[in-house]
Amino acid sequence: MLHGVTAIRADTILVIDDEVQIRRAIVNALRPLSDRMLEASTGGEGIDLAATARPELIVLDLGLPDMEGAAVCREVRRWSSAPIVVLSARHAESEKVELLTAGADDYVTKPFSLVEFVARVQAHLRRSRTPTQSLSQPVVFDGLTIDLVRREVRREGPIRLTRIEWSLLQTLLTHAGRTLTHQQLFDAVWAKSFGNPQQYLRVHMTNLRRKIEREPASPRLIVTDPGVGYRFEAVEP
Amino acid sequence: MTSRRALAIGWATWSGLLLLATTLFVQTRDSTDLAYAVLTMILIVLGGSIAGGRGLGFTLAVTSFVLIDYYFQQPYNRFSVNKPHDAVVLLAFLATAGVATDLLVRARQEADAARQRTDEVQTLARLGAATLRHASPDAALDELAGLVRETIGAAVCSILRCDDTGDVTLASRSAAGETTSLDPRLEMRAAAQAVERGVPVTLMAGQETAHDVTRFTDNDPPSLTTLVLALPLSANERAIGALVVRGDPMLTLDAARRRFLAALSYYATLGLERARLFAEAAHADALREANRAKDEILASVSHDLRTPLTTIKVLAQGAESRGEPSAPAIVEQADRLARMVRDLLELSRIRAGGSVVSPELNTAEDLVGAALRQAQGILDGRVVVPHVDLDSPVLVGTFDFVHTLRIIGNLIENALRYTPPGGVVDLRARRDGAELVFVVADRGAGVPQSEAARIFDVFYRPAGAVPDSGHAGLGLSIARTLAELQGGTLAYASRPGGGSEFTLRLPAADVGEPSVDELT
Repeated sequence: MLHGVTAIRADTILVIDDEVQIRRAIVNALRPLSDRMLEASTGGEGIDLAATARPELIVLDLGLPDMEGAAVCREVRRWSSAPIVVLSARHAESEKVELLTAGADDYVTKPFSLVEFVARVQAHLRRSRTPTQSLSQPVVFDGLTIDLVRREVRREGPIRLTRIEWSLLQTLLTHAGRTLTHQQLFDAVWAKSFGNPQQYLRVHMTNLRRKIEREPASPRLIVTDPGVGYRFEAVEP
Repeated sequence: MTSRRALAIGWATWSGLLLLATTLFVQTRDSTDLAYAVLTMILIVLGGSIAGGRGLGFTLAVTSFVLIDYYFQQPYNRFSVNKPHDAVVLLAFLATAGVATDLLVRARQEADAARQRTDEVQTLARLGAATLRHASPDAALDELAGLVRETIGAAVCSILRCDDTGDVTLASRSAAGETTSLDPRLEMRAAAQAVERGVPVTLMAGQETAHDVTRFTDNDPPSLTTLVLALPLSANERAIGALVVRGDPMLTLDAARRRFLAALSYYATLGLERARLFAEAAHADALREANRAKDEILASVSHDLRTPLTTIKVLAQGAESRGEPSAPAIVEQADRLARMVRDLLELSRIRAGGSVVSPELNTAEDLVGAALRQAQGILDGRVVVPHVDLDSPVLVGTFDFVHTLRIIGNLIENALRYTPPGGVVDLRARRDGAELVFVVADRGAGVPQSEAARIFDVFYRPAGAVPDSGHAGLGLSIARTLAELQGGTLAYASRPGGGSEFTLRLPAADVGEPSVDELT
């Protein structure tokens, strides 16, 4: 059913949603990705299942009858690093920031497209399986080679980045596929240097894009999550 | 009545004592020293002065002098004032009586004043407590009015508040039992005139115009008699109302009472101010509560509308993947409905004043990139071409990224609606003086001159547009409102060579280029 389903399969995926029909539809759509699909209709039940069954990925719907979504995220994050993909009917950026800060990996707003949703779940599965040490080798995205060890970036020729630009790229790349909030980026990049006011984040990001993107006005590597932050899109090499 | 009787008893007692002492000393006048008789009589004069005041004191003093002269000074039983020390004795008696009564009167006056002051302090303390004790400031005002009425001895005490135009309304009124039927309009008239003139005024029955009492707390005039007395109340140099007392039939206030009334008026001011602040706080609470309820309703409406839409869309997508021919249409219509829900929610949020604008330093390229990405799902074979000069310094502005993305998104959505497959929509960003300018241009039919002014109206549709063209006519209205919310403008112009051109202007900003030594 799904376009370009690759060999990635999860042992267990947990879907927490109180709307039976949406839960069924999600479970059906994700079944090709997993051998075992678990379902929960409340936050409490979801946390219990997450603790006992140790799923590889969790889909969490907000607006559960018993708990705030952020509370479920925080609780699960205390003992699990499984990616959490949140579904929400609200389109408020503040809620998105709150959930990403609480430990969610992605935030999908309703009504969503199943195809896109499955693609995102797949991306998170792939990312969570990619060991961090694989970044010790140079990686290539959309014709751009990044070598974190040698601190080199090149496309055709070498690209010179400022310290802040390099730090931004490194932070985004090590969390590829995950939106980092403005605050998270500030904390990661500006903690090391106090020479530049934080508010220039967007200006630095634009300059970085001019250097590494093929079309800086239509970026494909670093995408903007409006009102929330930035994400390095793991474009296939 | 009682005090007159007490006085008579005093006169009888002390006169009797004097006679008794005289009788006793007369029998032994040859064997005892004269001094005993004199000292005993001085004591009686002193006692009489204390008990009966000046009149009794002097009477006893003169009587004692006569008695001593007559009975105890030789030659006995004969009155003669020519003895040289007679004058001294008389003087001693008179002085004793005079000094004693004078001291006594002064002590009494001071005791009275002290008692009155204690009463006043107690009243003030009770007023202070009354102001604070009641949970409701109106109940506190009622108690205040009652206390003022009792303390001043008035038949009625009213506290009135006034608005900025000087109109007075009763805030509280306390009337003694049998005077509740008195018409408060007289008090209101006096209050209005006191507020208007800023000084205490008096008003008599049948009078239209009140009289100013300009020297209210002075001793002059010593006593003030009136039917109604009104004191203006002000806080922060602004008139807030008046305190009115009324007699039945008349109210008489000496200087001390007037001064005390002036002190009481500050409590009335505090009470009124407290009532006002209380009302304001209650109003603010109500507003906050209404705001919270509105947010909750918007949140639950968006949840209640989007959740079934999600179910419809998700089920239709499942059907689509199984080859159901009608499924794509269901998905499309669900998307359309979702956009309308989004627009309606956005519009109601803006209308309710719930749209928070947070302008930050943002770059035009970042915005253009996000807009192009957002438009991908609705392109349908058409192209949005960005025009940003990548060789010039980064274009920076101070704007709300999410709102501005919404504006550009709506403009692109609108432009695509009038662009055939294969057609091009241009998205341009440039700097113009102190402004950052975004232009969205299409090669569609454009808008006739006659309708150009109306296109930003809610639910506007171009004349002759297909009724089912898939939008509710909210996009441009939302876009303009969001532009104005952050201090920008959105304007329409017909495009040279055909089509439409929408220009968004926002405040630009300047930042320095990163320095070279930052390079790795």
